[in-house]
Amino acid sequence: MSEFKMTTVEELEAATDRLLETGAKVGADAWQFRVKNQTPHCKFGETGVCCKICTMGPCRVTKKSPRGVCGCDVHGIVARNFLRFTAAGSATHSDHGREICNTLYQTAEDGNYKVKDPEKLLRIAKEWEIDTEGRDIYDVAHDVAYTALTEYGKPFGTQRFLKRAPKHTQELWEKNELAPHAIDREVSRSLHMTHMGCSSKPAPLIKQSIRSGLADGWGGSMMGTEFSDVMFGTPKPIDTEANLGVMSEENVNIVVHGHDPSLSEMICEYADDPKMIAYAKEKGAKGITVSGICCTSNEVAMRRGVPMAGNFLQQENIVLTGACEAIVVDVQCIFPALGPLSKCFHTKFVTTSPVAQMPDSDFIRFDAKTAAENAKEIIKMAIDNFENRKPELVHIPKLKQKATVGYSTEAIVKVLDGVANTQVDEMGTTKPLIECITSGVIRGAVAMVGCNNPKIRPDYAHVELMKKLIANDIIIISSGCSAQAAAKVGLMDKRAKDLCGAGLKRVCELADIPPVLHMGSCVDISRMVILASSLAKDSGLNISQLPVVGCAPEWMSEKAVSIGNYVVGTGIDTFLGIDPCVSGSDEVVDLLTGGTKDWVEASFTVEKDIDKLGDKMIERIEEKRNALGI
Amino acid sequence: MTLFDRVFSGNDAVYALTENAIDDAIKKYGEDKAVKFPDTAYSLPCYYAVTGTKVADLKGLKEAHGVVKTLMTREPRLNDAFMSGVATALCAEFIEVLKYIDGAVPYEEPLYGHLPDAVIRELGVPLVTGDIPGVAVIIGGAPTTEEGVALVKSYQAQGILVTLVGEIIDQCAEAGYKTGANVRVIPLGKDITSVIHVVSVAIRAALIFGNIKPGDANALMEYTMKRVPAFVNAFAPLDDVIVACGAGAIALGFPVVTNETENIFKVPKSLIVQPDVSKFNATSLEARDIKIKITNIDIPVAFASAFEGEIIRRK
Repeated sequence: MSEFKMTTVEELEAATDRLLETGAKVGADAWQFRVKNQTPHCKFGETGVCCKICTMGPCRVTKKSPRGVCGCDVHGIVARNFLRFTAAGSATHSDHGREICNTLYQTAEDGNYKVKDPEKLLRIAKEWEIDTEGRDIYDVAHDVAYTALTEYGKPFGTQRFLKRAPKHTQELWEKNELAPHAIDREVSRSLHMTHMGCSSKPAPLIKQSIRSGLADGWGGSMMGTEFSDVMFGTPKPIDTEANLGVMSEENVNIVVHGHDPSLSEMICEYADDPKMIAYAKEKGAKGITVSGICCTSNEVAMRRGVPMAGNFLQQENIVLTGACEAIVVDVQCIFPALGPLSKCFHTKFVTTSPVAQMPDSDFIRFDAKTAAENAKEIIKMAIDNFENRKPELVHIPKLKQKATVGYSTEAIVKVLDGVANTQVDEMGTTKPLIECITSGVIRGAVAMVGCNNPKIRPDYAHVELMKKLIANDIIIISSGCSAQAAAKVGLMDKRAKDLCGAGLKRVCELADIPPVLHMGSCVDISRMVILASSLAKDSGLNISQLPVVGCAPEWMSEKAVSIGNYVVGTGIDTFLGIDPCVSGSDEVVDLLTGGTKDWVEASFTVEKDIDKLGDKMIERIEEKRNALGI
Repeated sequence: MTLFDRVFSGNDAVYALTENAIDDAIKKYGEDKAVKFPDTAYSLPCYYAVTGTKVADLKGLKEAHGVVKTLMTREPRLNDAFMSGVATALCAEFIEVLKYIDGAVPYEEPLYGHLPDAVIRELGVPLVTGDIPGVAVIIGGAPTTEEGVALVKSYQAQGILVTLVGEIIDQCAEAGYKTGANVRVIPLGKDITSVIHVVSVAIRAALIFGNIKPGDANALMEYTMKRVPAFVNAFAPLDDVIVACGAGAIALGFPVVTNETENIFKVPKSLIVQPDVSKFNATSLEARDIKIKITNIDIPVAFASAFEGEIIRRK
């Protein structure tokens, strides 16, 4: 086995700097410059005290002007802004989930999309009391999809998947009126509540934030994840590679970016087609390399082992390599800057969704019905573009690491079966993990999630926190751009076990896992709440008692806030490295960092000092252990 | 009490005992008195393997005891529990070596105590070839003599080397069950500290066959974990000292199977609670990933390579 060495954040930065030199040659803009232009940011916006929800405003609260024109005080303004932020995130994930449900509705035996995991589909159908006996699997798929789609706008009742939570959690939700109803209703109710002249009391607004978050985590995101598994297969451990070095100078490089696997799966499927490869060879390339950025990359990495080129703040780097024939995107977290940037190179910037249309892009409307033709057209376009490459601009940083990914909840349980003893243990449970935690071998678990944000040195917080936590025998489950940061530097290489404390190291050796487990994309954080629920049920503890916390150290998007809300709403304390623009109201701060405990037994902690953020998580985990006497 | 607290407490107790024993010996014999095990080139094999230092006399032993203290850190982390387990083992070795002062013969038939290098060289080859597929370390007393003897016999029939510590030795004697190195059932001693004599076997195997450099504790533990297929069966009740010894075994990669159900924590693949003693064998082999293909020959007596050295005596 070759010598294992982590990639450092400095090496990542040096690679980026080299690419920016190429950018300078062609006069490209970059986020690094735009951040400078935007700094310092407006303090009113940063602290959440600016309100522009009606045209009597914009209003901003200061000591001299403590109320807006309507009379709303700072607490109401901050809380409303926070709720709108959450609702947008919830809408975003949930619409992604809806598209997946729509795709599931269109599955057919001979269609573009098929049911790859019928077992999982049948399990969900049974859970939802949909008849499966002797029926064609596609009939079941259509019924399940239709029922799933009604979850978005059903007139009565709450989300079906809430029943997956432990009883205690369900009771808390019921008692505190937090159980989300129809998904879209929670989002639109949030917009209603934040309209001028509606709610201006922080508590109900924050409550609605949690409810709207839960509609995402236990509704939209969960359906997105579950039905992606049904159509594209439930992830199992698979080896792949990460960082820009996965791109190939000799091949046609197609980079998928965005979120919905309906698009990326099709691209990957047809990029493997021998006809396409032959066509690429005709055009002078040796083959086709598909790699990914952001969550759509996580999706295809988890299921197909497609290499991960980079995370959020690396998206411009892809184009700057000069070796990207096409960057194909769908929705969410796509820099509109990619349009003008691609014009500096030969790169085709292909937008595919009516939801996310951008200037300077080639729009190929992607549709479940025409998916195969769309995918072929895009790949062909990329191949045809190979000859337009400017060789003098090509530079792919030679950095990449091996990663083992694909740890769905199902895969984790299977790993745990591997360390159970058939003579004494029950199979198919999370009990072995609980035993590792109660005995103290592993101190706890941290779910590391979230984005990159230029306010924090990119990937630094993700990587440093992970290193600190695993050295303290805390296992990490990760998703989104946090997971990609881990993969890029080598923390998902099994050999990274040597960076762990003795306890986690032993666990990694016995279970044959890396210390940081890739659980998927951002909608796949729903896998984490299911895992937490299983741990609670298998241990007989409440979720809030488990020595488990969530962390989004470099978060950026509204989706991240929605996630934070549903993770806290599920009973898991959540640690943020960036303030969610609420510091302008002590009442809202108090609610988010403590008050929510009364409803859901968990709250947020905000700490901008990354080292301290790690200490605080370890402290919280040890507090929970002490409370349990373990 | 947490599992780690039990390990720390057991470690503290043994450490204090050792301190007294060494101080008493110094009072009695003076600092320059030589300490050594018979028939070994490895001084105090465990201490030598872990630290790379040979101990010649009581003065050296006192210093070594001070070194052991540095392993006894008390953070709530597995590394600390492991090191305290190792520290407990080293203390046990110190207590045991004191029994051999002045060429004393502390163990007599059927007990073996310290095993000479020659025995290890003899057992080493079949261990490496897999002829001996495992090493069972049985500690304490089985719920009944029958269960204890049946367990010993089950391992013996699989060609597994069995070492015994404590009451199980009396149980075998009571049942008139033949023991001895020739049949690969080796009663070590009645005190828990005598368990060090089998640890010493594993460690000398690492030095002799694994070419591990004395003092390279990490390489040592990796070798024993990967190459020495040992496991521990510890019968209830488990006191903190046994738990601390167990931590040492687990640090070396040897799983512990116990029927203790009170005040114990389970650890997958490492500390396994099996209330049914008749399933200890299957549970242990699975935990240590020992796979034995058995062809059962239906004959009225036990049949295994372990019986090859058996001596038939006139009654």
